[in-house]
Amino acid sequence: MKDFPVPVETAEQKKGGNIFTNVFDELIRFAQSRSLFMLHYCTGCGAIELPPAMTSRFDMERLGIQPMVTPRQADILLITGYVSVKTLKRVILTYEQMGSPKYVIGICSCTVNGGMYWQSYATAKKLNDYMPVDLYIAGCMPRPEAVISGLRQLMEKIKSDQANGWQDYYKRYDYYLGNQQRLFGDNWQTPTDVIGEAEHYGLTGPETEGKHTALLQQHQRPLEPLEMRLDPAKVKEGR
Amino acid sequence: MRMGYQELIVELLLMPLVAFIVGMFMVLMMRKVAAKLQRRIGPPLLQPLYDIVKLHSKTTQISHGLIHDIGIVMAVGGYIAAETLLPVPGMNGIAEKGGLITLLYVMMIPSLGLALGVGQCANPNGSIGISRALTAMLAYDIPFVIVMFGVAWHFGTTNLVELISIQQAGGISTWGAVQMPLLALAGLFALQGMLGKQPFEIYVAPAEIATGPMVEMGGKYLGGLFVMQCFQLYTASVLYVTLFLGGGENWLFLLVKAFGVLLIPFTVAFLFPRFRTEDLVRLMWKWPVLLGLIGLAFISAR
Amino acid sequence: MNALDLLLSASLGTALIAFIFSRFLMGRMLLTMLYAVQLVILFQIAPASVVVSEMTFQIWDHTLRWQFDGISWFFALITIGSAFFVSWFASGEYGKRFETDTGSSRLLHVGLGLNVFSMLLLLASGDLLSLFLGWELVSWSGVLLMVLGGTDSRAAAVRYVTYAITAGMAVFFGIILLYTWTGSLAFEQIISASTSFSPAQLWLLTALLIGGFSIKMGLMPFHLWQAPAYALTAGPAMAFLGAISARMGLFAIILVLVKMISLQQLIELYIFADFFSARDLLAWIAAITIILPTYTALRQTDARLLLAWHGIGQGGYMMLGILMMDRMGSAGGLMHVFNYAIYQAALIMSVVAIIHRTGTADLNKLGGLVTRMPLTFVVMLIGIIGLAGLPPMSGFVSKWMIYRSVLNEGMPLIFLATVIGTLGTILSVYKLIHNSFLGQLRVEHHKVAEAPWSMMIPMLLLSAIVFVTGVMPGLVLEYVALVQQAMGISTVNFHLGGIDSSGSSISGDLDMIWVVIVLFSGFAIGALLFLSSGKSRRVNQLDNYAGGHFLTARNQYHYSDNFYAGLMHQIRPWYRGSFKWLEESVISITTSLGGLFKSFFHQPWTANWLLAGSTLIMIWLVL
Repeated sequence: MKDFPVPVETAEQKKGGNIFTNVFDELIRFAQSRSLFMLHYCTGCGAIELPPAMTSRFDMERLGIQPMVTPRQADILLITGYVSVKTLKRVILTYEQMGSPKYVIGICSCTVNGGMYWQSYATAKKLNDYMPVDLYIAGCMPRPEAVISGLRQLMEKIKSDQANGWQDYYKRYDYYLGNQQRLFGDNWQTPTDVIGEAEHYGLTGPETEGKHTALLQQHQRPLEPLEMRLDPAKVKEGR
Repeated sequence: MRMGYQELIVELLLMPLVAFIVGMFMVLMMRKVAAKLQRRIGPPLLQPLYDIVKLHSKTTQISHGLIHDIGIVMAVGGYIAAETLLPVPGMNGIAEKGGLITLLYVMMIPSLGLALGVGQCANPNGSIGISRALTAMLAYDIPFVIVMFGVAWHFGTTNLVELISIQQAGGISTWGAVQMPLLALAGLFALQGMLGKQPFEIYVAPAEIATGPMVEMGGKYLGGLFVMQCFQLYTASVLYVTLFLGGGENWLFLLVKAFGVLLIPFTVAFLFPRFRTEDLVRLMWKWPVLLGLIGLAFISAR
Repeated sequence: MNALDLLLSASLGTALIAFIFSRFLMGRMLLTMLYAVQLVILFQIAPASVVVSEMTFQIWDHTLRWQFDGISWFFALITIGSAFFVSWFASGEYGKRFETDTGSSRLLHVGLGLNVFSMLLLLASGDLLSLFLGWELVSWSGVLLMVLGGTDSRAAAVRYVTYAITAGMAVFFGIILLYTWTGSLAFEQIISASTSFSPAQLWLLTALLIGGFSIKMGLMPFHLWQAPAYALTAGPAMAFLGAISARMGLFAIILVLVKMISLQQLIELYIFADFFSARDLLAWIAAITIILPTYTALRQTDARLLLAWHGIGQGGYMMLGILMMDRMGSAGGLMHVFNYAIYQAALIMSVVAIIHRTGTADLNKLGGLVTRMPLTFVVMLIGIIGLAGLPPMSGFVSKWMIYRSVLNEGMPLIFLATVIGTLGTILSVYKLIHNSFLGQLRVEHHKVAEAPWSMMIPMLLLSAIVFVTGVMPGLVLEYVALVQQAMGISTVNFHLGGIDSSGSSISGDLDMIWVVIVLFSGFAIGALLFLSSGKSRRVNQLDNYAGGHFLTARNQYHYSDNFYAGLMHQIRPWYRGSFKWLEESVISITTSLGGLFKSFFHQPWTANWLLAGSTLIMIWLVL
C-alpha cells in the first residue's frame, strides 16, 4: 500500500526569521505538547483502553492530558477501533469542528489496514484516506502502556514541529473530499466550511480546490454566518 | 484616603496580575488534591500555565457572533475589575469606593457576560448550563447574603479595608470565624456553591450537557474561561479570608490562609457526586440558611 | 398666571390637541413637542420652593387649593418625561400602523394627554379634597389607556375598575373620618391634630388610606389586577402605565406619611408589645411584594406579562425605601421611582419593537434576534442590567441605598427579602433576553428588520439616560435631596459620583465614577488580551455541537420552554394560587350577597345600589 507522503516542515527547515520568534514558537510548542485535551469520543471497541489510561494506575494527567467533551475544546481526536461508514461521517464532522492545531491518533489495527474487519463492506479500511492521521498505535487492542507510549511519541512530535497533519487537510482538501465522496456519495457535506476557513487563515494550498470541491459547491447549502445588520434589504446575497 | 493617581494605576494593573498568578497555583492545588484523593500523581507544577498558553495559541477558533466575543471579554474583564475592589496587603485599590455589596454585584457581571456569550452560541446545552448556573447562584447567594449581613452588622461597616483593620487590631479573638462561628460555617457552604465544585457543579455536568456553558468555547474563548476560573478561586478565597480570618497581615499569611480555606471545598468536592438542581436548591435553602439565621440571632442578642 | 397654572393648562391643551390631530403624523409629532414644552415649563418651576396655583374653588367653608412642592416636582418630571418619550415612540411608523390596524390612535393619545393632566392635578393637590379629586381623575383616565388591546385588555380593564372603585371608596372613607375627627380638610390642621389620635383611630386610617392607595400601587394582596391590565393593552400605553401610573399610589402614600399621619406615629403603633409595629407590618408587606411577584414573573412566557409582574415587584422596593424614612432609604426609594420609570419604559419599548417586527411577544416562539435587531438588543441589555440592579447602571445605585438603609436599621430578614428579589429578577430578565434575542434564529425571522428610527431613537435616549445616571447618580440625587427637604427629613450625603455614608450607623461609601472607570478599564484589558490572541472565524448557527448530529434548519435547536426547570420543580408546588383564591372568594361573597339583595328587593343592578347606599351612609356620618 503506497502512502501519499504528508509534507511536513521540520524544525530545521523553519530556521530563519529572528531568534525571538523561534524561541517564542519553541516555548509555545512546548506548552502545546504538555497540555493536550483529548476528545472523550469513543468510536469503537478500543475505547475500553482509555479509562485505565486516565485513572489512577496509568494517570494521563501527569502528562498534561485530560479529557474534554466537545470538539471545540479538544486537540486530539482518538479513533479507537474500527470505523463503520456511518461512524466515519460523524467522525469527519467532529474532526472538522475541532480547532487547529489538532491531532488524530488511530488506535487499534482497524484504523491502520482494516484489522479484523478487513473484508467488511460496512467499515472504512484506511483512516488516512479520509483525514490526516498523525500517529497510529497498532494492537487489538493496545494496552494502556502502549496508548501512553504513543501519546508521549505524539508529544515529542508536537515539540519538534512534526505533527502538522492538520495543515495537510486544508492544503489537500480536494483529495480528502474525493475519498469521502467516493464512500458517502456525491451529496456529502458537513456544516463546516473548510475552504472558507482555509482562506480566512491563509492555510490554502494548490490542491485545496479541485473537481471534487466543485461537485460539493453545486449542492452545498449556504453556510454563511448570520451577520448583524439593521436592514435586510441592504445586505447582498452571498455564496 | 487620597493617594497619588500613579500609585492607583499601578495598583489597578498589579492586583489582577497577582490574582491571576495566585489563582493559577490554586487551580494546580485543586488538581493535585483531586489526584491525591484518587491515588494518582496529578499534573506537574506549571500545568495551568501550559493549558492557558496552549489555548491562547490556537491557530483557528470559531465564534458565533459579536456577542459571543463580547461575552468572553466581559467575563475576563469583569473579574479584572473585581480584583481591584478586594484589598490585599499593601494594595487597597478602589476598595474604599465601593464596599462589600458593590464587590458582590460586580462579581455578577462576569457571569452575566458569560451568559450572554453562551446565549449567542445557539446551543441548547449551553443554555441549559446557564439556566442551571443562574439557579445555583440563586441558591448559594441566599446563605451568602445572610453571612454578609451578619458580618457587616457585627463589625459596623461594609468597607472591606475597615473590616480587615478591625480584625487585625484585635488579634485572633476578633476574627469573624471566632466571633461568629455559625456564620463562618454557613459561609463555607456558600463558598462551595460559589466555586461551583461538586456536589454543586450541575451547571457543568460534562457528560450530561456537554460541559454546559463551555460547549462551543474553543481556543482563546476557553482560554478566557480558564483565566476566569483562576480569578474566581482567588476572589472567593480571599473574600472569605477577609470576612472571617482577619485578612492578610502580610502576603505570606494571606496566601497560607487562602490556600487553607480552599482545601476544605476541594477536599469535599472530590468525595461527592453531583446533586440535581432541585436538590441543590433545597439543600442551600435549608441548612446553611438555618445556620446563618441562628448565627444572626446570636449577633443581635449581643 | 404663574408657572404651575401654565403647566396645567398646557397639559390640558395637549389633551385637546390630541383629540383633534392625533390621526395624522404631523399631529403626533406636534404632540411630542408639546410634551417637551411641558417639560420646559416644569423646569421654570423651582423645585426647592412651593408654588401655589392661582386657581381655587370654594365649597361650603372649605377652599380647594393646588400647589407644587419638591415631591410633586419630582414625580411630575418623571410623568411628563415618560409621556414625552412614549409619545415620540408612538408617533412615527408605529403610530401609522396602529392607526391602520385599530383606528384608535385618538384614544391612545387623548388617553395619554388626559393621564398626564390628571396626574399633574393629583401631584398638585393642596388639601384632602383636591387630593381625592385628582385621585379619582387618575384612576378613571387610567382606564382610557387600558382598553386599547382588544377583548382581553377590556376584561382586564374592568377588573382594574373594580379595584380602583374599591380604592376610591376606601380613600373617601378615610378622608371623611379625618374630617370628622379633625374638622378640617387642610393638611396643616390634620398633621397637628393627628398627634392626638388613639391607636384604634390610627389603625383605621392606616388601613383605609394607605390600603386604598396601595391598591393602585399594586402592593400585595391587591396586586392581581396590575399585570394583565398593563400587559394586554397596546404597547405605548403599557410603557406609560408601567413607568409611572402605579407610582401615583406611592406619591399619595408619601403625602399621607408626611402630611397626615407621620411615620413616627406608625413606628410607635405596636401590634405585639414593643416588638412589631405598623411600620414593620408595612415593611413586611413591601418585602413580600418584592419576592412573590418577581417569581411569578419568572414563570411567564409572554414578555409583556413578565415585565408587568416585575413592575409590581419593584414597587415593593420603592415602598420599602420610603418606609425606612432615613437619609439613604428614602433617597433610595425615590431614586428607584425615577430609575425604574426609565428602564421599564425602555424595556417595554424594546418588547413592543419586537412585536412590531415579528408579530409575537411569546418567548417560546422567538429566538436569535440579536443579529437582526442589534440596537434593540442593546436597549434591552441596558434595561435588564438596570432592572436587575447591577453596576454600572442606575438601578444598582438606588438598590444599594435601599440595602444600606435596611442594614442600618438592622432588619436581616427584610435585607434577605430584597436580595432574593434581586436574584429572582436576574434570573427572570436573563430568560427574557435569552429567549428573544439569543439562541437560534428561526427561519421565519431571517428577514426581520431593525425597528424604525422613530422607535429606535427614544429607546436609545432612554438607555443613555440609564447609563449616565448610573455613572453619575449625583445628577438625580440632586432632585431627590430636594424631595427629602420637602418631606422634612435629612438629606442624603451625595456627590456627583455617589454616596457618602458619614452619619449612618454602618459605614461604607459608594463612588460609581471610580467603579465604572475601573470596570471599563478591566473590559479594555480583557479585550486587549482577547484581540492579541489568534483571530476567530464566524460560523453559521447550524455549525454547532450536537453530539455528532448533522443539524438542519428544521431542527429547533433552542432551549426556551420551561427555562428554569430545576428551580421550578422546587418552587412550583409552593404556588397554590392563594391570592387568586382570595380574590375569587371575595367575588363570590359579593355575588351571593347581591343575589340575596336581588331576591329580596327584586332590583337589578345590585352593585349600584350598594354603592349609593354606602355613599349615603358616609354623607350622614359627615353631616
